[in-house]
Order: sequence, then C-alpha cells, then structure tokens
Amino acid sequence: MGILSTIVRYGTLLFAVAGVVCIVMISRLQAERQIPPSGDPPNPPAPKPFAQSVSATGILEALSENVAIGVPVPGVVTQVAVKVNDSVKTGDLLFSLDDRDLRAQQLTLEAKLKVAQARIAVAEAQLAKLDAQLARLSAVNDPRAVSKDDLENRKQDVAVARAQLESARADASSAQSEMEANALLIERLSVRSPRDGTVIQVNIRGGEYAATSPKNPAMIVGETDRLQVRADVDEQNATRIRPGQKGRASLKGDPKVVFPLEFVRIEPFVIPKVSLTGAGTERVDTRVLQVIFSLARPDSPPLYVGQQVDVFIEAADP
Amino acid sequence: MIGLALKMLFGDTAKYLMLVAGLFFATFLIVQQASVFCGLMMWTTSTLKNVGAPIFVVEERVEQINEINPLRDTDVSRVRSVTAVRWAMPLYSGIQRVRLESGSFKTVQLLGIDAASLAGGPVRMVEGNLEDLRLPNTVVIDQLAVSRLSEDAEHPIKVGDQFEINDIEARVVGICEAMRSFTGGPYIWTTYERALQYTPSSRKMLSAVIAAPIEGMTASEAAAEITRKTGLRAYVNDGFGENPNDFNTSTIWWYVKNTGIPISFGTTVVIGFIVGIAIACQTFYAFVLDNLKHLGALKAMGMTNFRLSLMLIIQSCTVGIIGFGIGLLATSSFAYAAIQNEQPPFVMPWQIPVVAFLVIQFICMIAALMGIVRLSLYEPAMVFRA
Repeated sequence: MGILSTIVRYGTLLFAVAGVVCIVMISRLQAERQIPPSGDPPNPPAPKPFAQSVSATGILEALSENVAIGVPVPGVVTQVAVKVNDSVKTGDLLFSLDDRDLRAQQLTLEAKLKVAQARIAVAEAQLAKLDAQLARLSAVNDPRAVSKDDLENRKQDVAVARAQLESARADASSAQSEMEANALLIERLSVRSPRDGTVIQVNIRGGEYAATSPKNPAMIVGETDRLQVRADVDEQNATRIRPGQKGRASLKGDPKVVFPLEFVRIEPFVIPKVSLTGAGTERVDTRVLQVIFSLARPDSPPLYVGQQVDVFIEAADP
Repeated sequence: MIGLALKMLFGDTAKYLMLVAGLFFATFLIVQQASVFCGLMMWTTSTLKNVGAPIFVVEERVEQINEINPLRDTDVSRVRSVTAVRWAMPLYSGIQRVRLESGSFKTVQLLGIDAASLAGGPVRMVEGNLEDLRLPNTVVIDQLAVSRLSEDAEHPIKVGDQFEINDIEARVVGICEAMRSFTGGPYIWTTYERALQYTPSSRKMLSAVIAAPIEGMTASEAAAEITRKTGLRAYVNDGFGENPNDFNTSTIWWYVKNTGIPISFGTTVVIGFIVGIAIACQTFYAFVLDNLKHLGALKAMGMTNFRLSLMLIIQSCTVGIIGFGIGLLATSSFAYAAIQNEQPPFVMPWQIPVVAFLVIQFICMIAALMGIVRLSLYEPAMVFRA
C-alpha cells in the first residue's frame, strides 16, 4: 500500500511536470509551423515615380495610331506585295484582289469603243459623200436643171449626216468613259498604303478571301519609330488628369524598366473600358478616360505595338 | 503544516486519484476544445495568412475574406493612385473544381496573383520554383493538395503532373507550404490572368486588391487613406486582435456572430467546467468528511480555523496543479498529433492555458471553501465524544 501510494504520489507529480514542459514545447512547435508574413513580393515593382500620381493601364500603339487597312469590296486576294515589318510609303501597293471579272468587262468595252470609232469613220464618209453631192448640185447655176426641191433635200441629207457623225462621236466618247471607269474599278482592287509607315500585321495571304468586316482588318500599318501609349484612366480619377502632365510607363512583364512619356492629348470622349487583361469574355461596366502619351522607342528592351503597360501619371493635387 | 497537509492528501490514494482525474478531465476539455476552436477560427483566415499582404482592399461592405464581392478591374489602378500605397496588385480568390485524371472531382481554393511581381505568392516553397508560374498553364499547389489530388498513396502528384481546373489544363510547377482552408480545399496558386481563364466568367472578377504602404507609414494609416480616397474598404492584415480594421479580426468575428461554432465549442468548455466542479467538490468534500476526525483533533489541539483552512486550500491547490499538469500532458499529445497531421485544427495562444489554470484553481477554491465551511461548523469536542 505504501509503495503504491508513493508511486501514485510521484507519478502524478512527474506527469504534471511533464505536461507543463510538453505544452511549452507544443507552443514552440506551433510558432515554428506558423507561416511568416510574406513582406515584399519576390519581384518588387518599381517605386512610384511621382509623389502624387494617377495610375492607369495602357497599351502601346504606333504613333498616329494603328491603321487597320480595309478592302473596298470583299474578294479573293491574288497577291500580297508586302511582308510584316516592311516600311511602306504613301501609295505603295499592299495587296491586290482578284480583278478578272472587271478585266473581262474591259475587253468588251474595248471592242465597243472600236465599233464606235468605226461608226465615226462611216459617218464621216457618209457626210463627205453627201457634202460632195450637195456641192455639185449647188454648182449648177441653171435653175431648170436642178429642182429647188432636190437641192433642199440634199441640204437636209448633209445636216442629218452631220448629226449622225456627232452621235457616233458621242457614242465613242461614252465608250471611252466607260472604259476609263472600268479601269478605275480595276485600280481600286489594288489596295495601297494610305500613309508612310511600317506593316505591323498581315492577316491575309494570296488566295484568301478578304472580307470587309472592320473587326478583322486585312493588314495593319502604323508608324513604329515613335510609339504612343493609350492609357485608360478610371473615370473616378479623371478629375485629376490635366493636359501636359508627365507620365512614366513600365512594361507589364518587367516592372523594373521605366520609360518616360510625353503628353500628347486627352481623348475628349470617355468610353467604356475595353478589356486589356486578356480574357475575351470579360465585361466591365466601367468607363475610362483615355490619355495619349508618346515615347521614343528605346534600344533596349525591345517594345512592341500592342504590349500592355502600367502607367503612372503625375497628378498635381491629391 | 504544509507537510502535514500533503501527507493527509496523499494518504488517501483513491480520493486523491479521483480528485486529480476530475481536474485532469476538466483541464483537458477546456484547453483542448478552446484550442480546437481557435484553430478552426484561424482556418477561416487562412487565405489572409497564405497571401500575406499587409493591406487587403475589398468592396465596401465585405466583412470577411471567404465571402467576397468582386471589384472592377480598374480598381487596382485606383488603389495604386493613392499616395500612401507603395504597390498594389490584383488578387483572385475563389473556390473551383478540379478534375483528376481518374475523373473524380475535388474542390480547391484557387488564388490568382500578379504574374510580374508574384505578390501574394506562397512564402515557403517545398519543391519547384515560384517563378515558373509565368509559364503557360501552370499552377503551384500546397502540400494538402498533394494528398488530396493524388491518385493513391503510391502515386503522389508531383512537379510536372497535370490535372484540369474547369476543363482547362493545369500543370504543377511547384509545391509549397500553406495553411489549411476552412472549406477543406487545398490552395492552388496561379497568375491572375490565368485564374480568370480557369474561372467561369462573370461580370466582375477581381476579388481583392492587395497593397503595401509606402516607407514611413503604417499599414493602418495607409489603409485609412485608401478607404478615404477610393471609397473601398481597406483592411490591414496583422492578425486577430482588437483592431476592427483588421481583416483577421473582422473575419473571425463574422464567423462568431453568424455561425453556431462558438456555441458548440463553448458548450463543451462549460461542460468541462461543470464536470470539474462536480467531481472536485464532491470528492474533496468526501475527503474532508473522511479526515474530519484528524482535522477536529488538530482543532482541539489548538490549531486556529485560519491555519486549518490554509491546509485545505494547500491541499486543493496541489490537486489542482497536478490535475492541470496532467491535463496539459494529454492536451500536448493531442496537439502533437493534430499539428503533425494538420487536422483537426489546433491553435493554442498562451492565454488558453493561463485562463484554464485560473479556472481550475477557481474550481479548487470552491471545493476548498465547502470543506472549510464544513470544518468550521465542526466542534473540536466532537472528536472526544466518539
């Protein structure tokens, strides 16, 4: 009995002490397991360039905007004259559409012109003949030899022949105009660059059908020596934007590289935000003020038209 | 006197064990249940711990992290425009379904973070590289996901394996440590843009904006300025405390107010307390009654009531301390298993054992008080009458 009592006495005491020690260890273990606060992100963004700033997301465009080249009529492309990155001057051929139907018409019109020209010759000959006859009759002075009625008829014949000649000439001129009009239509199927620039995108190849849909331009031409940034500012921050404010942009993938921006203009029309974040189905009911900045294309890193940038715009007041 | 009191206490082994057992039971119930409750409450804030940004900006009326009202995309820019903000990044957080190669479905907690800065990414990587998240169709999974998404124990999911989130391919490029979520789904990190692709589209997708204050400004000051300038709700992420602007505090209080969890755990704690009182008081009273003769003899020998009461108090306190200690031992073994297994939730702040100790001592005091009352009514002369 005595031994048991001693065992119980010291045993419980030992357990109790062990319990306190264990609980301290558990709370140590717990602290170890706790996930530490993360602090700064692994790739921290560049510090803000201005004390007071408005932030926006932007997209790089060619200066003078990206011109989406349209086609005058839908048709099959026969030849694409330029490649991506080619620099083009105003009026340079970009691509041409199938014009065989118009050229076939041209052949008919040419034949028509020749017919008209032949008719002029006929009319001229007729007129010369009647003229000569009239001259001969007029030369006879004896009124008994030539009846007055006959002479009058001859005169009328000459007038009719002259009118017929005029008509034939008009026909020829009409055929000529028709041919010229057709040539213009043929020329229209050769799409030419509306301005100096660089071909940024070619969406069409020879043999493909070019549609007139504005959503899907056949080709994009723009000036890429200088780029511009179209920055979307939330309408709630629009009041803090003033013309002439400076800006800084950094590429979406590389927040450490910062480009200086020069103010160009504020688009006066506030538009619904177009999704820039990639998800095509995204629908957002916010409206944005677009501010245009220009920037010189730096040597490194390479910038591409269409890239997304984070923009900070210097704001005067908070 | 102390020696005498302890000798008397240990003399009756059965009653002593009974007392210790009662108090052990009470301690275990109180500490273990309170800790499991705290752990469960901590799980509700696991997104905050795993994302770990100093400031969370959410929609004006959002009260807790697991119930988010999404923001508009341009709100990232608005928060970024606030002077007090050093950086601000988008965050997507939502529950999605994963389809495994075997065809079975699991729910996961999907987090989308900014691809360039990787702000909000996991802190501790176990395997792989967080930077690889920039590769196409990649995700980083936590250790729970390894067991959850694996086909069986012999073929654990590893870096390079694939599964599908909403029918879109996801390739594992890393495994990280993360706190468990309240909903039980593992955490899966991907980039914000890809998270939007994984998620069925809705009108607004941005769950929250995470931000950090500029140098020389505290997170609360910056959060207050964000709220003032943008009208959005900016919470700090310091941990549960008294600050109502702390997202942890706000989230936990939301669960306390809106769910039955505190009632259920509170009931168990109260039962522990009642069981402790019942066993301790009854046994101690019986113990005093048993030893009444000896106590009476001491009283007759001229020991004052005060000193006798002191003796009873020492006895009950000793029982309390030993019972409490053994209770902690049992709790520790439970806690060890829970922490190793990461389930059930177990978080024990230092307040829990301290308060439990005070509660146990309070129970002992009540037990001692009953003995003292009985003893003071006892006449020393009674000893000689028998």
